[in-house]
Amino acid sequence: MQPLEVGTRVLCRWRDGKHHPVKVIERRRLHSGGPNDYEYYVHYTEFNRRLDEWVRLEQLDLDSVENDVDEKVEDKVTGLKMTRHQKRKIDETHVEGHEELDAASLREHEEFTKVKNIATIELGRYEIETWYFSPFPPEYNDCLNLYFCEFCLTFMKRKQQLQRHMKKCDLKHPPGDEIYRSGTLSMFEVDGKKNKVYGQNLCYLAKLFLDHKTLYYDVDLFLFYVLCECDDRGCHMVGYFSKEKHSEESYNLACILTLPPYQRKGYGKFLIAFSYELSKKEGKVGTPERPLSDLGLLSYRGYWTRVLLDILKKHKGNISIKELSDMTAIRAEDILATLQALELIQYRKGQHVICADPKVLDRHLKAAGRGGLEVDVSKLIWTPYKEQG
Amino acid sequence: MSRLSFRPRPLDIHKKLPIVKSIKDFEDDDIPTSTRTQMLRFVAEADNDNQVHQVASKKTVSEIPIPEYVIVDTYERDYSPIFNQPASYLRARGARAELGDFVEYDLDNEDEDWLNEFNEERMVLPAEKLVLFVLQVLNISVVLEFEFYNWCRFESILFKLEVLDHKGRERAGIITPTLGSPVPVLLAFEPAVEALQALSIQYGIFQSIYSYWKEKRERWLKPILRHLQPPPPVNDTNPYNVFRPREKAHRLHTRRMQRRENNVQSFEKLRQVRRNLDQAKNLLEALIKREEIKRDVTESEVSLQRIQMKYKNETELLQDSLALPELPSFRSKFVSSEDEFIESDDFQHKRGRFQPRGSMNSRMVMTYSGGIMKRETRHQPVPFTWLHKLDPLEPVLAFTKPLVAEKLAAAGIVPPLDSSIRSSRGNSICGRIGRGGRIIFDRWNPLNAYTNRLWRFAVIYAS
Repeated sequence: MQPLEVGTRVLCRWRDGKHHPVKVIERRRLHSGGPNDYEYYVHYTEFNRRLDEWVRLEQLDLDSVENDVDEKVEDKVTGLKMTRHQKRKIDETHVEGHEELDAASLREHEEFTKVKNIATIELGRYEIETWYFSPFPPEYNDCLNLYFCEFCLTFMKRKQQLQRHMKKCDLKHPPGDEIYRSGTLSMFEVDGKKNKVYGQNLCYLAKLFLDHKTLYYDVDLFLFYVLCECDDRGCHMVGYFSKEKHSEESYNLACILTLPPYQRKGYGKFLIAFSYELSKKEGKVGTPERPLSDLGLLSYRGYWTRVLLDILKKHKGNISIKELSDMTAIRAEDILATLQALELIQYRKGQHVICADPKVLDRHLKAAGRGGLEVDVSKLIWTPYKEQG
Repeated sequence: MSRLSFRPRPLDIHKKLPIVKSIKDFEDDDIPTSTRTQMLRFVAEADNDNQVHQVASKKTVSEIPIPEYVIVDTYERDYSPIFNQPASYLRARGARAELGDFVEYDLDNEDEDWLNEFNEERMVLPAEKLVLFVLQVLNISVVLEFEFYNWCRFESILFKLEVLDHKGRERAGIITPTLGSPVPVLLAFEPAVEALQALSIQYGIFQSIYSYWKEKRERWLKPILRHLQPPPPVNDTNPYNVFRPREKAHRLHTRRMQRRENNVQSFEKLRQVRRNLDQAKNLLEALIKREEIKRDVTESEVSLQRIQMKYKNETELLQDSLALPELPSFRSKFVSSEDEFIESDDFQHKRGRFQPRGSMNSRMVMTYSGGIMKRETRHQPVPFTWLHKLDPLEPVLAFTKPLVAEKLAAAGIVPPLDSSIRSSRGNSICGRIGRGGRIIFDRWNPLNAYTNRLWRFAVIYAS
């Protein structure tokens, strides 16, 4: 039978056993097969690109191969007339969370990152499936699995090499200053200029799980805040966020990531809260760099909701958006967007008012989810970064 | 969604907004309840409802699937529990990888394979080969001490070769900031042998290792130790190349303190800056001096005028009493030392007079000390040629220059030849500058003792 063409849409059996619609992104010949035996790299159209994977022909339901007729449809939301393919592309873009990138850079970005190069990595206790492509040096193009040293983040192609490395590597925590310690949780600040190789390794690693991160420029203008859980084997990284040393757009966070094995445990929210605590100490208002991923946006909305609504519940008298901003270090636009999305800003009798009915606020707070691990500001020992002469 | 008939004003973030604690307050207005209020009420009263906007439009976290992960079974063995967390917060040690003792290089697949082959060839005893073969077949990752030792040494040698080569290139000054052309291998065999003598490697083994390393370098066209690889150039557009250095302009933008480069260009620039500053300094000093001189001149003029005024008052009295106009009446009043006068005889002749006015070329300070005038001359004064032409007894009005007849004639100003004018003392020949800059030819001078009782008729010419 004929191999499928790139761009074909078909149903594919996913890990949950059910069939889902996919689009073929790439294909390659099987080493051990005939001239027509291929495996296919597919994108599940209902899901984010992180679930893209190489599949075998058996997983595909060939009866469902689409004969596509590109007819005109009307998009119900906007009322625009377009072809079915165009509409589908837009819908999928919204699923992905790519709204904030313009079409051209999105296309460009997708072009060269469309196929994951590394399939799994081993980092400390876990072997993790990767989510996205990461631009490792060309020497690593032939490799599907990488082995990372848990502490210095050196990556190697064979497990043996890692084991050998562990015998000589005496680093037991990130190579920076510990600036926060509460219980077993520690935060380290790493300067990209002083620890360039570590910074680069961290970026290579993080890119495997972040879609829109670019490693175009070098790490020396960044600070890396690495969150760790400590035990008798060392301080193990669970997540991190990076921050520009000098941001013109007052970004207080560039990239943020919780490693997959540690997600859904409150670390991500901790990182967000921590970034705002640093902003408060600096005396500056901050905001995360855009675009935010789908998961990232959810977390931030939750954080903003919790912080702002807690204040509104307790506050007596009037308050301005600017005051809220000064109290929380959250940028005024973000505050406004959050309150407006929750419909808490009304226009009455010629002026704006904030609705703070306790029942309403509690509804929203419940929907926003629990807070993550709390930041104990008394345990933060840190001064804002200063350039050394 | 709202059906408000007017557009609300944009929100001012600095303005304090009232916080309304109860929705009932919304029902007090004249504006019919909008859909918004209804929505709020709906939200407050509803039970466990999923129609709150925020949740409906976004998937909850539990619905977003992610790829999977598993636990590594050899973890406990590979990572030993030897970490003792100190009570105080850990401090950074400084980057470990500053080409120190720590062997930063890790063998990659190529190196391992090569070493394996190399070891196999060297092994004489079939027993050793058999053991290795068995281990490989069983895929046991137990590392023999002997093997490990070899790997270790091999790694260490490769690392040191890289470092030596890098240092050699540094000394030769050919380290490039970005990856442009292929990075050459400078380290030759003999110097390498010498440098690594301390490791006491067998000559033959070292030879093999060296040629393996050199060949690999020539294939890679760049150092094999990542730390030493130069980054891609700034204008490289290949998206697979990463970690470019920032362009200078961007650096200025994002870093408050400029990184100062240490090269010839900046030295030249600084030297130029220094020259400019020196010149500016000299200019400013000259300027200051000039202004000081001007100030002194003005001061001396002022005192001059003051003295003239006083003198005038006294002159009237004396002129009345003296008959001979030619005598400088006040010579006795002046004490002047010989060595202070440096000028022409004429000047000395005139030293009784306060004639110099408005001259910029001298510095003469008159000091009044108990009735005795002392004139000090600090500089060479320019000869006061126009002084000669003055009538000593011509009454002097404050702040005016005497008029020069030839210049007046050249300008077409001719004194009136009125019969009523009495020609006395050159008044009718030279006029004077009167109020408002008018040129006045006096028929008689009221200040002159002789004409005290006569009327004055001034002839006014527009100047």
